[in-house]
Amino acid sequence: MQMRSLAGRDVFFDSEGFLVDPSQWSEEMADQLARESGIGRLEESHWQVIRFIREYYLQNGRAPLHRELKKGSGMPLMEIEGLFPGGIKMGARLLAGLPNPRSCGM
Amino acid sequence: MKKVRLTINGRAQQFVIDPKRILLDLLREDLKLTGAKQSCDRKGQCGACTVIVNGKAVRSCLTKVGELDGAEVITVEGLGTPQNPHLIQEAFVLSGAIQCGFCTPGMIMAAKALLDEKTNPSVDEIKTALRRILCRCTGYKKIIEAVQLAGRFLRKELTPDEVRPDPNGPKIGVNHPRPSAILKACGVAEFSADVKVQGAAELAVVHSPQAHALIKSIHTAVAEKMPGVIGIMTAKDIKGTNRLKVVVADRPVLCDTTVRYIGDPVAAVLAETREQAVAAAQAVEVAYEPLPVIKSPTEGLAKDAIQIHSDQPNLCYSQPQIRGDAEAALAQSAFVVESDFSTQMNHQAPLEPEVCVSYLEEGDEGEEPTLVVIGRSINIHFHLGMLQGALGYENMRYEEAYAGGQFGIKIDITSEGLAAAAALHFRRPVRFIPSLTESMYLSPKRHPFDMKIRLGADRQGKLTALAMDYVVDNGAYLSAGRAMVFRALYMLSGSYYIPAVKALGKLVYTNNPWGSAARGAGPPQANFALESAMDMLAKKIGMDPLEFRLINSLKPGQPKSTGRVVEQWPFPELGEAIRPHYNRAKREAEDFNRKGGPVRRGVGLGTHAFGISMSGDSANVAVELEPDGGLAVFAAAADPGEGNDSMFIQIAAHLMDLPMSKIRLVTRSTDRTTATGPAAGSRMTYMVGGAMVDAIQKLKSAMAEVKATTYDQLKAAGKPTRYMGTKKNQDAAVTIDPTTGLGPSFESEVHSIQMAEVEVNTQTGDVNVVKVTTAVDAGTVINPQNLEGQLEGGVDMGIGYALREEYVAGQTKDWITFRFPTISTACEMENIIRETPRVKGTLGATGVGEMTMVTTAPAVTNAIANACGARVRHLPAIPAKVLAALGKS
Repeated sequence: MQMRSLAGRDVFFDSEGFLVDPSQWSEEMADQLARESGIGRLEESHWQVIRFIREYYLQNGRAPLHRELKKGSGMPLMEIEGLFPGGIKMGARLLAGLPNPRSCGM
Repeated sequence: MKKVRLTINGRAQQFVIDPKRILLDLLREDLKLTGAKQSCDRKGQCGACTVIVNGKAVRSCLTKVGELDGAEVITVEGLGTPQNPHLIQEAFVLSGAIQCGFCTPGMIMAAKALLDEKTNPSVDEIKTALRRILCRCTGYKKIIEAVQLAGRFLRKELTPDEVRPDPNGPKIGVNHPRPSAILKACGVAEFSADVKVQGAAELAVVHSPQAHALIKSIHTAVAEKMPGVIGIMTAKDIKGTNRLKVVVADRPVLCDTTVRYIGDPVAAVLAETREQAVAAAQAVEVAYEPLPVIKSPTEGLAKDAIQIHSDQPNLCYSQPQIRGDAEAALAQSAFVVESDFSTQMNHQAPLEPEVCVSYLEEGDEGEEPTLVVIGRSINIHFHLGMLQGALGYENMRYEEAYAGGQFGIKIDITSEGLAAAAALHFRRPVRFIPSLTESMYLSPKRHPFDMKIRLGADRQGKLTALAMDYVVDNGAYLSAGRAMVFRALYMLSGSYYIPAVKALGKLVYTNNPWGSAARGAGPPQANFALESAMDMLAKKIGMDPLEFRLINSLKPGQPKSTGRVVEQWPFPELGEAIRPHYNRAKREAEDFNRKGGPVRRGVGLGTHAFGISMSGDSANVAVELEPDGGLAVFAAAADPGEGNDSMFIQIAAHLMDLPMSKIRLVTRSTDRTTATGPAAGSRMTYMVGGAMVDAIQKLKSAMAEVKATTYDQLKAAGKPTRYMGTKKNQDAAVTIDPTTGLGPSFESEVHSIQMAEVEVNTQTGDVNVVKVTTAVDAGTVINPQNLEGQLEGGVDMGIGYALREEYVAGQTKDWITFRFPTISTACEMENIIRETPRVKGTLGATGVGEMTMVTTAPAVTNAIANACGARVRHLPAIPAKVLAALGKS
């Protein structure tokens, strides 16, 4: 676990780069993380995915299933996978500020 | 074959049947009656299958149908239904005698056979009648009370309506029956093995007989040709990582190159019947090349030891804790005790085998099917993620069935990886019902600890310093092993203020069965050493053990061993609450011992401040106002028997001022729930209950803002009807310092002081626990019966841990060799409950599920020492160890 100053606030990240507290997320933070990950500037297609994942999480308390993401974003899964290094689980969800799907908290 | 006429639950039927077919299989497999359960591999050890045949309670797993021609059989389904239950079923519900519910049908049928003969049995008669039925949850106390209550109902002294709390009355602090209890009492709650799956094939697994070896070859040709065999699956058939990762990806679903403990799964056989699968599994030939076996942490830490995992050192985790100068403080202390202690490897022993069902569910056209897993997880979202990675298949759903006991064992995936992999590979619905021995192979164990401790005090009896080193046998796979080490440090100083601390915990891979969570998870082991040393030090100083503990109680404003200063510490009040009982017990022991003779009576104490909500913990729960004014609660909040359903419903009904019948829990499927973390660490009431309170407050605020009192008004005002609540630990992202072990601790504590009264036969070494009194403060009590049930079950489990139970790899294979506590070994119990509202608690409540387990073992061994001077330092305190401690080896 490490603390970083990002987008104007101190935030904690786990060892795989996921936000520890999803409520600390901001769009500016996603932008900066995207630049660091090599994506560069986030395009509308990225935001379409990130916003859907983010809103789904806030509403349902979990990440969307792939089939829900496909339906909700209106984009093919392979295209989404290609948009984010790390794919949907370790890339898109990370930028959307969701918890690490591989973390059990121990 | 033979024609057999039976009347089953009032219906006359005839069966042309193999006369050797056992009644349990006829009931469960042919008639699809789910009440009678199977736990002990049909050895007659557990009694969960008890039914009534011609008026007598019998174990249906030992009863051959061919011998029953003309018999009348009654199962729990024949007594009553949830809508029209039998008085005995109502008595079990109203007494709080039902936790996981796996033993309940057997208990109820044995009770009926007894009460049919005698409606006012004595406690001894109840114990005799129920002696063959095992329960892991309740400590048997409320089961005995349920039979007594049923007798009163049957004698028409009382009616259920006179006992049942008014559902429209107060919700908090009241014994409202658990919603799930009546389903369990009537045998209709579906555990994993009860799920009906059309065309399900049965799985059997090939386990390694070697503790450490390379897999040179797996020959399946003979097995593949055996009757009914659909196919054989090995590691190469698993398309994902084939690793079940908790913290480190070290545990394979099926071993590929190496086996690392006796029981490691190597191959899986799918066949049309279980018998065919088991037979074929025995015909799979695996060639092994033995490797050196690491039998202990000492061997694992040796310089030339073979490394069990190529990417992990055998010393896979260590964590010190240093506060002040403990060495200097010990050197200057007027009194110091120094000793070593150890605790055994143990099985958590849920009654239900590690069952799982898995199948592919067809989706919409063009969609890949959903791989559905129905099993025993208490953390369905996390386990779903583990399975997705291990199997390389994303489109999955996990559904929690009713689970027959938990106690930490379900923090890990066991049968699910194998069943789901087989369903995916063979494209067939799969049912995996491992035997009890296999269930023990597949599941994690309680870690054994080896501990060296030094504890000092000044001339006034004030603690000065604690030094403690402990080495933990991790077994073959890491799982949550690190948590055992650091949880022990988070709670190292227990109930006390200890100015200086020097500790070091080490976790070491071995080729023993792998360890993971087990009720208490770390503190039961470390606290055994601390509380034993406390008694030894009190004796050395010449102080009474209760006084010594009370003068050393931590106080608000003082720090725990991690340095975290506490705000609330209602421990001294517990000591005062138990004092009259302690004085009574000491007087009675003195009177008893004055008579002389080889049996000596003693009184012992154990205390602890058990932490709830570790740093970094968070929970989220969604609530939704429904059109009829009811409230739906969405959270993956497993309830393997503790009563979480009661907790949610009583709190939600209280806050919403709704009838409890209008609170609907949605908790069992990953598709519909929030990912709110495991039902572990005694965190459900404090964390998940707290998140629900937050969600309800948000809903109520929204309703108040637009002056809405109904769903329609809220909708009309344009407000959402669904709200997400959260609860976060105050230390969102802080852990203890890796070099000092200082930093946060748990956010809340449940306090306990427990007193054991024992009789020790100094000639045989036998120990009889006469009574355990538990004084506890867990804050506001939501449901007193549920709280007491946790205390009593924890005490019984703690006594088993103290005196009998041990898992010995290759030797412990069933409930007899495990030495499962029975109703005959259960002792008298008394609870003293104080309610200091916790500042950050859920309506003032904190958790309680693990705490009693933590204090029982030292209370019992301290009582043994008090009785006869025998200090047992290595659990379990079997007669031979008691005699050895008396110098009578």
